[in-house]
Amino acid sequence: MGKITLSQVTKSFGDVQVIPPLDLEINDGEFVVFVGPSGCGKSTLLRLIAGLEDVSSGRIDIDGAEATELPPAKRRLAMVFQSYALYPHMSVRKNIAFPMKMANVPEDEQKRRIDSAAKALNLSDYLDRKPGQLSGGQRQRVAIGRAIVREPAAFLFDEPLSNLDAALRVGMRLEISELHERLATTMIYVTHDQVEAMTMADKIVVLRAGHIEQVGSPLELYRAPRNLFVAGFIGSPKMNFIEGQTAEAHGAHTIGIRPEHIEVSATEGMWQGRVAVSEHLGSDSFFHVHDTGLADVITVRASGEIGFRHGDTIFLTPREDQLHRFGADGLRM
Amino acid sequence: MSTKASRAAARLMISPSVILLLGWMLIPLGLTLYFSVLRYNLLMPGDNPFVGFENYSYFLTDPGFTAAIWNTLALVLGVLVITIIGGILLALLLDQPMWGQGIVRILVIAPFFVMPTVSALVWKNMFLNPVNGLFAHLFKALGLEPFDFLAQAPLLSIIGIVSWQWLPFATLILLTALQSLDSEQLEAAEMDGAKPLSRFWYIMLPHLARAITVVVLIQTIFLLSVFAEILVTTNGGPGYASTNLTYLIYVQSLLQYDVGMGSAGGVVAIILANIVAIFLMRMIGKNLEA
Ligand SMILES: Nc1ncnc2c1ncn2[C@@H]1O[C@H](COP(=O)(O)OP(=O)(O)O)[C@@H](O)[C@H]1O
Ligand SMILES: [Mg+2]
Repeated sequence: MGKITLSQVTKSFGDVQVIPPLDLEINDGEFVVFVGPSGCGKSTLLRLIAGLEDVSSGRIDIDGAEATELPPAKRRLAMVFQSYALYPHMSVRKNIAFPMKMANVPEDEQKRRIDSAAKALNLSDYLDRKPGQLSGGQRQRVAIGRAIVREPAAFLFDEPLSNLDAALRVGMRLEISELHERLATTMIYVTHDQVEAMTMADKIVVLRAGHIEQVGSPLELYRAPRNLFVAGFIGSPKMNFIEGQTAEAHGAHTIGIRPEHIEVSATEGMWQGRVAVSEHLGSDSFFHVHDTGLADVITVRASGEIGFRHGDTIFLTPREDQLHRFGADGLRM
Repeated sequence: MSTKASRAAARLMISPSVILLLGWMLIPLGLTLYFSVLRYNLLMPGDNPFVGFENYSYFLTDPGFTAAIWNTLALVLGVLVITIIGGILLALLLDQPMWGQGIVRILVIAPFFVMPTVSALVWKNMFLNPVNGLFAHLFKALGLEPFDFLAQAPLLSIIGIVSWQWLPFATLILLTALQSLDSEQLEAAEMDGAKPLSRFWYIMLPHLARAITVVVLIQTIFLLSVFAEILVTTNGGPGYASTNLTYLIYVQSLLQYDVGMGSAGGVVAIILANIVAIFLMRMIGKNLEA
């Protein structure tokens, strides 16, 4: 149904190559997340798949058929835009009906699909309102509803949650995940937020400057990041990187250790430092440790009961089995 | 403006301009109303007796009056239709990325800067003249009889000239409106399977509704009082064929030195303008609400 293959796809705007040759396979029913810093070409890649931009070279296959030259409407993909792109002068019902109207779906079938989408998305009470009278979360749902009723081969989402507040974001994240479970349709989801990527994805594609840095399941990326960039990007708080003698002692140029893989103690440990900032979340505490002689700052994560204050001396012991070793070229050893 | 004190201060501060504006409008309006009920002809000096509605009945029964009303409406409607359809098409065209966009846009706007008398003269002498005009040459080149536009189709010619003047205005307003359309909406519609014509009809046109309303309202105000173009081309003729209400008032008052009659005509014009305004607001006013 929704298998998408990119082969040697490139995209240039004028002289600037935004996407260097890129290969990617997205399997039917997969939830794939493109993640990377702002400006790395995630949206461009999504728009290439959608057909809103022409590829400069390369080939795109959807469902085993070449789609490189196909116009967007013929690709059977539905897209949810960051700005939602609802039609402001149409009611919610008309917005959702629009793609079906364009496809000449019979009226009663339209009605059936609108009603079921509205029920699934909790929009039944709002069908006759205009988008301007809805909250951000509701608009988001309308945009998703408009995508669902087309029964597409795959859904494309471009940072759909970035305009929502934190609480709504968590809620919508769950709703989109549930939607994926229920429909089992391929979904491609673009975000710069690694938390969204980790929580939602079957497969994460980490991008930097148009390059694919690594493709893998969330846990694969977490456990075995292929290079320094992925190691630093995936995981929160960020992995600590240590260079110099300590790293050389482990036979590496750089070693990385995640904050949650460091034991803390007030009395003894491998490294000694001074707590600069402590953040208590209740369940966890984060300590930003200075003056270790290893790096400017080492972040550690400890259970919420442990209390260090600003200025306290703290001893850190990394778990040797969780050390990540990287060579001078930045690649995992 | 939330507290009582600040509201009072605001009223106090805007009062000079409000009073000035009221005086500016009410005094001339009052004088016009006053003159319209007097027998007041400059060719017959003396006292100016009160005659009630005599001026009005003369003006309304003038053989040119009905013709002038219909001509006024035809002129306004004709120009509106031409400028809005033409303006939308031009705006769509100018919105396309192309080489020399800036210059082309300035050129398109240029007619708006030509004063009405001049543009009407240019049209009369350079284009429409049955002997020397470009159209006459064109007709001759095609082996056709030259057409005397201003004599054969005076009102249509004037509609053409006035449309030419107002097309840039409509284009400019509609172009800016078009440029404010979120491109993601168009892309969403494209992905939803809307063909270019459907995208125009379902996405662009509703987005333009407010701008179109603004164009209609502003142009109507000016088009109700078209005058210079008629004066320098047809003089309202032949007969009353191209006389609109403004021109009729000019003929009645200035040409016959009849202040009373002209004032009555002016009052009639105000009433007509208000009727048109009420109709317009009923029909399209809701587009202006946010
Ligand atoms: N239409 C365009 N013309 C020129 N450059 C563009 C265009 N669209 C995107 N770019 C450039 O391509 C790069 C990637 O953009 P984008 O895909 O939007 O990044 P992301 O979505 O990851 O933040 C950016 O450097 C951006 O400036
Ligand atoms: Mg983007």
